[in-house]
Amino acid sequence: MMDTQKLLKGKIACPETGIEIRKSICAICDPGPLCGLDLYVKDEKIIKVEGSEKHPSNLGTLCVKGASLRQYIYHEDRIKTPLKRVGARGSDKFESISWDEALNTIVDKFNAIKKENGPESVVFFSGFTKYFRPYLKRLAHSFGSPNYLTESSTCYQAMAMAQTLVFGTPSGPDLMNTRCLLIWTANPFHSGHSNARAVLKGKERGMKLIVVDPRKTPTAAIADIHLQLRPGTDGALALSMANVIINENLYDKDFVASYTYGFDEYREYVQAFTPEKGEELTGVPADEIRAAARMYASIKPAAIMPSASPVVHHTNGVQNYRAAFSLAGLTGNYDIKGGNLVVPTSFIHSPGRIPTREHEFTQSRLWSDMPPRIGADRFPVWMDIVDEEGQSMQLPFQIRSGKPYPIRGLIGFGLNYRMWPDSKGFLDSLGKLDFFVNVDPFMTDTCKHADIVLPACTTVERSELRCYGMGYIIFTKPSIKPLYDSRPDVDIIYDLASRLGLNDPLFKAGYEASIDWILEPSGITVSELKKHPEGMFVPNPMKIPEKKYLNGGFKTPSGKLEFKSTVLEKYKEKPGFESLPVYMPPRHSREATPDLANEYPIILNTGSRLPMFIHTRTFRLSWTKSLRPNHPSADINPKDAAILGIKQNDAIRIATPKDSITLKANLTQMVQPGVVHVFHGHPEADVNLLFDGDYLDPVSGYPGFKSALCKVEKA
Amino acid sequence: MENMIYLDIERCAGCGACVTACMDQNDIYPEKGQPAFRMIYQVEDGQYPAANIRYVSMACLHCEDSPCIIACPTGAITKDQKTKAVTVNRDLCIGCHSCALACPFGVPRYDLEDKMQKCNLCAERVEFGLQPACVKVCPFQALRFEPINKIQDEKQLRFVVKAVSTIPTNKSA
Repeated sequence: MMDTQKLLKGKIACPETGIEIRKSICAICDPGPLCGLDLYVKDEKIIKVEGSEKHPSNLGTLCVKGASLRQYIYHEDRIKTPLKRVGARGSDKFESISWDEALNTIVDKFNAIKKENGPESVVFFSGFTKYFRPYLKRLAHSFGSPNYLTESSTCYQAMAMAQTLVFGTPSGPDLMNTRCLLIWTANPFHSGHSNARAVLKGKERGMKLIVVDPRKTPTAAIADIHLQLRPGTDGALALSMANVIINENLYDKDFVASYTYGFDEYREYVQAFTPEKGEELTGVPADEIRAAARMYASIKPAAIMPSASPVVHHTNGVQNYRAAFSLAGLTGNYDIKGGNLVVPTSFIHSPGRIPTREHEFTQSRLWSDMPPRIGADRFPVWMDIVDEEGQSMQLPFQIRSGKPYPIRGLIGFGLNYRMWPDSKGFLDSLGKLDFFVNVDPFMTDTCKHADIVLPACTTVERSELRCYGMGYIIFTKPSIKPLYDSRPDVDIIYDLASRLGLNDPLFKAGYEASIDWILEPSGITVSELKKHPEGMFVPNPMKIPEKKYLNGGFKTPSGKLEFKSTVLEKYKEKPGFESLPVYMPPRHSREATPDLANEYPIILNTGSRLPMFIHTRTFRLSWTKSLRPNHPSADINPKDAAILGIKQNDAIRIATPKDSITLKANLTQMVQPGVVHVFHGHPEADVNLLFDGDYLDPVSGYPGFKSALCKVEKA
Repeated sequence: MENMIYLDIERCAGCGACVTACMDQNDIYPEKGQPAFRMIYQVEDGQYPAANIRYVSMACLHCEDSPCIIACPTGAITKDQKTKAVTVNRDLCIGCHSCALACPFGVPRYDLEDKMQKCNLCAERVEFGLQPACVKVCPFQALRFEPINKIQDEKQLRFVVKAVSTIPTNKSA
């Protein structure tokens, strides 16, 4: 028998210590694994965080960020009460106000703007986390505004767009059954550990692994072939692989003949991309291109694992990714077991294996009954393909121009101005708004520029609905009460809906009734879910048949898998909108702008994940910070560093024609020579200052965060 | 044979989950000058395009015959007979750093009061039948807590299976 002191020291949950385990999930990254949590609670305080054994997403484990959750919950930067700004914008002078005063002020302002300019002049924005998104989108539309915007303007949607242009719908790799996995730039060991476990499992059963990545990541390190291309040359690499697959007769002729559109022109186009040409354009040796093409095309089934941002954070991103996804078309690996399966999403981009009414819930007013979304005039393919939201990269331009209509009010939930390229320009645009509200757990630099700041609580202090691809569902129970005077984001949304006087029956019915309405087709109810605070497997998971295109064709305009896009063909007069997956080098690159490259010779590659950070969400925590003590720092190859006379931890300046930042040098072979990598969002060295606001992919509107030109020097 | 913490270098991605889980379990706050019990090292060799990067998660090895115990003049460091954890009694530590000299692995660290701090194998958890926090959290099962011979059995089996798979079989039989 252990004595109580020992049990307390070990934080053991048992009657002697009074420590009990409560269940929740971690939503620091989202919608990643959303790991199940065991929260060790004593006297209503969380004293330790562990992964929940029974949760199928994480099986008792956690990532470095989730393991730091306690510091996130109890951080001193938590906003304690609603705040009203009393000084100049950015001055950090605020006074506490009541929730009544805060919400009534917001309602008066928004209703006044609606009366004067129309509801479209108010924007509803979601950053992280994402659990409240369906309700926020409904709030925007029930208010009458088409302008529900999210951080998905720089994440996920462009990848889905590239797939939709080729296949008619997004797909994902069937990791459990594939025999050859082509990871087209993702590093799940540092960004989504459940996928990394699946990769390790696959390797154990003999799965071949090809990794396309400019960096030497832990994922690349275990690959059979690592194609270490120069950033932004993905399209050339994919076209070169297609050249090998077609010219060596390794493609699936029956599939191509029966189910694809534009093959002859595509075949003709790829002829220019011999492996030798591919080597010249990408830096990947021709023989490796050949080997990878043969491996991917000859092992069946083979799957492509895409990622939400890396490939589409280039000014040529959508075209590059179209070229990559076309390989699944060439080899017939689309929508088959072990290939790229199409699994419908149930809720917040997660496939839950249940039917829901998410879309009907969120789209409470039809697009056609509202003015055009922000970005509609500039990004027509976005409007054709992305059904959820506007393109927020256009927001600063529209605030400044007032065209096609003025933007005067903005409420952000977790809005971080450093998400935008030309982050300073975006901040200036925020300053031109009549009224800006930000909701956040922490007093961020963005909050300092708001007129009203509202304190949101963290995941463990609220209830949220989540679905998982393995047919699992959870409606979490708050493990502790919201700290201070904070509230769940959804409470704020439903309270605003009520005070705005919206005639919306589901807002009137409440949060849980809304969830019951969304889940109605599945037969699952909130009261059933509440009996399973740790989550539950759905009773009758939807069967996902293969080759759904056999019934009714592909969901493209031609009904076929499109090597040549009939959507892009409509805009072919616009540069960058070519209907074939045409390769153009990044807008700023040695190939496209040699004069610029002479002055700014190094490729600036930003935003790849470090294991301990996801965006800025864990920057504050001493536990995560301790793992990268020289942060903010730039990864630079020792060879470049030697040429530039730079040593480890030296202060360096990275400059583009736009601006410069100063940070430390981190010498590592993780980056290749000629490339410098900087993690994004750091207050002291915000790399987004270095990008022009319109350094965007013309098709998706995504910023070219992963390839620009810069110079590096000792500071 | 008792359980030992074992690191499978092939599976370690240097993510640091073990480090922060340890800090959460043991209330270690770097901002207060408290040293981490567990560290991550990124070891690189070779150059692009043939560079190798490997990661090692490292803490006290809880040696069977611990040099630090022998070196400690005050008896502050002892071996727990139940768990075989090498632990330090902060009240007896005089900050003489003898353990630092004795330990060949660079494990002992000192806080702002110059008291030695190091991994205690989560001895209380282990005694209660749980895994150490670093092992429990590891998303890739790179860290394990099992008898060393059991881990070696598995490693040997993996080698045998791989080796046999290269020998041609006589399929006509």
